[in-house]
Amino acid sequence: MRKEAFLFGYGIQGVSLAKGLRREDFDLHIIEATEEPFSRAKKDGFVNVRLLDVTEDAKLERLDIGDDSYIICVMDDKHLNVFLTLSLRSLFPKTTIVAISDSVHTTEKLKMAGANRIIDLYQVSAAHVHNILQKPIATKLLGSFVSDSYAISFKEMLISPNSYLNGMMTDDVNFSECGVLLLGIIEEESSEKFVFISSGIEHQLHSGDTIICIGYNDDLERFAKGMKESK
Amino acid sequence: MLSKLIVKFAFFLDGLDSYQKSKKFLFNLLQNPDYPYKRYLDILMIFLILTSVGILIYGVRNPLPEWMDIYDIYVVSIFFLTEYLLRFWVYNDFHKAIIKEYNQSEFLLKRFSLWVPIKTVLKGKLEYITSLTAIIDLLAILPAYRPLRILRIFVLFRVFKLLRYTKSIKQFVEVLADKKFELFTLLLLLLFIVMTAGIALYVFEDKQNENIGTLFDAFYWALVTISSVGYGDISPVTQQGRAVSMLIILSGIAMIAFVTSVIVSAFSEKLDELKENRVVDNINKQDDFIIICGYGQMTKVFLEQEQELGSAYIIIEKDKERVDMATKDGYNAIHEDASKHEVFNRFNIDYANITLLCLTNSDIENIYITLNAKSVSKNIRVIARATDASMEKKFKLAGVDHVLIPNKVTNMMLLISINQPVVYSGIHSILMGRDVAHIDELRVSERSRLIGKEVREINFKLYKILLIGIERGSHSEFIFNPKADRVIEEGDTLVMMGQKISVEYFKESSS
Repeated sequence: MRKEAFLFGYGIQGVSLAKGLRREDFDLHIIEATEEPFSRAKKDGFVNVRLLDVTEDAKLERLDIGDDSYIICVMDDKHLNVFLTLSLRSLFPKTTIVAISDSVHTTEKLKMAGANRIIDLYQVSAAHVHNILQKPIATKLLGSFVSDSYAISFKEMLISPNSYLNGMMTDDVNFSECGVLLLGIIEEESSEKFVFISSGIEHQLHSGDTIICIGYNDDLERFAKGMKESK
Repeated sequence: MLSKLIVKFAFFLDGLDSYQKSKKFLFNLLQNPDYPYKRYLDILMIFLILTSVGILIYGVRNPLPEWMDIYDIYVVSIFFLTEYLLRFWVYNDFHKAIIKEYNQSEFLLKRFSLWVPIKTVLKGKLEYITSLTAIIDLLAILPAYRPLRILRIFVLFRVFKLLRYTKSIKQFVEVLADKKFELFTLLLLLLFIVMTAGIALYVFEDKQNENIGTLFDAFYWALVTISSVGYGDISPVTQQGRAVSMLIILSGIAMIAFVTSVIVSAFSEKLDELKENRVVDNINKQDDFIIICGYGQMTKVFLEQEQELGSAYIIIEKDKERVDMATKDGYNAIHEDASKHEVFNRFNIDYANITLLCLTNSDIENIYITLNAKSVSKNIRVIARATDASMEKKFKLAGVDHVLIPNKVTNMMLLISINQPVVYSGIHSILMGRDVAHIDELRVSERSRLIGKEVREINFKLYKILLIGIERGSHSEFIFNPKADRVIEEGDTLVMMGQKISVEYFKESSS
């Protein structure tokens, strides 16, 4: 099933986000409050575009956003964005809301309004500048993790019950020989927590755990296929 | 025949690398304020000046021991003389002028005359000799000539030499020089009053006041009175004389008020500039520093995160209000337009490693600043902010070394948070450089313990570190997941991940 995403705002951030989401094959709905960006979205070839007064709850409710969907709040008007987040949270309490903030204060407000994940534009960028200054090569690598323009990336892989990895200790698996590196694990019991391999604790892998590896795309694919096999 | 020989010699000098190098070195040492070693010469000269003045004072009451005399005559004076001659030498070049003239006359097919270049260069040298600083330098050498005792007083010119080596005194003089016109007008007015009052007193009291014997006495009295010093050794005795006194005292008060206000206003006008000069001077003392253009939200967050930076940065902002805001926030900022050519020349571009961060929110401005900086020096590393990914190509073309696209980074994060929600926190930690997941790099220096070792020999597991890859040389390919038998060489860069403390411990123990 295709994931559904509701993008509120087709402005500075909205435009490139919408294009990114289209590439990732999302069922994308764009909602705008003003005429000009609305028609721009139409012109850019998006089908599900709606012009809506986002301050009216009744209209928002009619969008009928499911619990598995994603809401992305990136309105150019910061005040409206916080208000919208709050409205959406009250209407759809279980849906994941993601928002972009431009300062510590806005981040705090968005959090209070009920956004699940907030990406602070300036903080992320400032950290990026720091990385470029202090560790240029590592930064290039980091860049390749998160964009599709480089060959090295990361992949999450679920361990199936008949996988040969099931029951093995992380130290006993020679990831390196398969051309991939194990970055971290998400254990089934604590489904939200990402444990870095470099934390130094040895793990036993179980079915239902997710491992995150980095490597060249081909190697990652090969490894993912191989790990499904039994011993 | 002679001129041909001289031209030949000029070309020979021009091609002589060691000659050019040593002349350049001396020029930098004497004249270039950005040259790192100039500081040492300045300190040495200040030491020589202070000791020589100290000897002068000591010699007033005490007989000078022989070594002091020798030090004063030979060491100090020879240093000063050498400095004078070297400055004379590096001021301009004979051979260059000769070559230029020779090439020109070859081109125009006219007769080459040796006199033209010699005249130009001599004119330049004369310009040097008659400059105020050179005159002071010359006078400061004179006390070495002992047969004339009177020349000893020229030691005081050595104090004036301090002007050359200490920036704050130089700035003081420069500030006053800016008010040359006002001060000169006041001086003329002062002379006028002193003369009129002096003459008046002389006329009124010549025979009646025994203290006034000559016109000079009257002028002396007028100056002492108008300056409100009033020794009291000469005072008027007639009614008319006292009336002149009263007038001169009144005008004296006005005069002092004038002079004070002129000097004060000169300083307050220049205060911001002086402060900024100090900031620029301080940054130029560093070998590595960052110039940040624009003081906005991004700069603020960057500086808040970058506590380790210390004072190795400077903010350039063209909006005065923002400069004040930055200063109030405790950052080093100057009010300048980074798109102007001369701005970057204020920095030590020849000898320091400079990184330029163009963080203004306008692409046009960031590109212009980048081009400006790169046109001043190719060595300046530029990291610039672009609003959109479509701009990246243009930025690269302008010479930006790293293009930062805030939207791209955040959008990627956002997509990950939706697409791969479980790894989001992990990737976020890595990107933000949190303590648990620190990706860092280590450059293998010539003294590193790691040189010559195979990857398998280094127990990364013991250090709780994951070796991700090695980059060989500065521009070669990145080797991801290197094989166990790969040998580590000098100049390699190891990219690894681990907790911050383990990475730091590894770096420390392998250096």
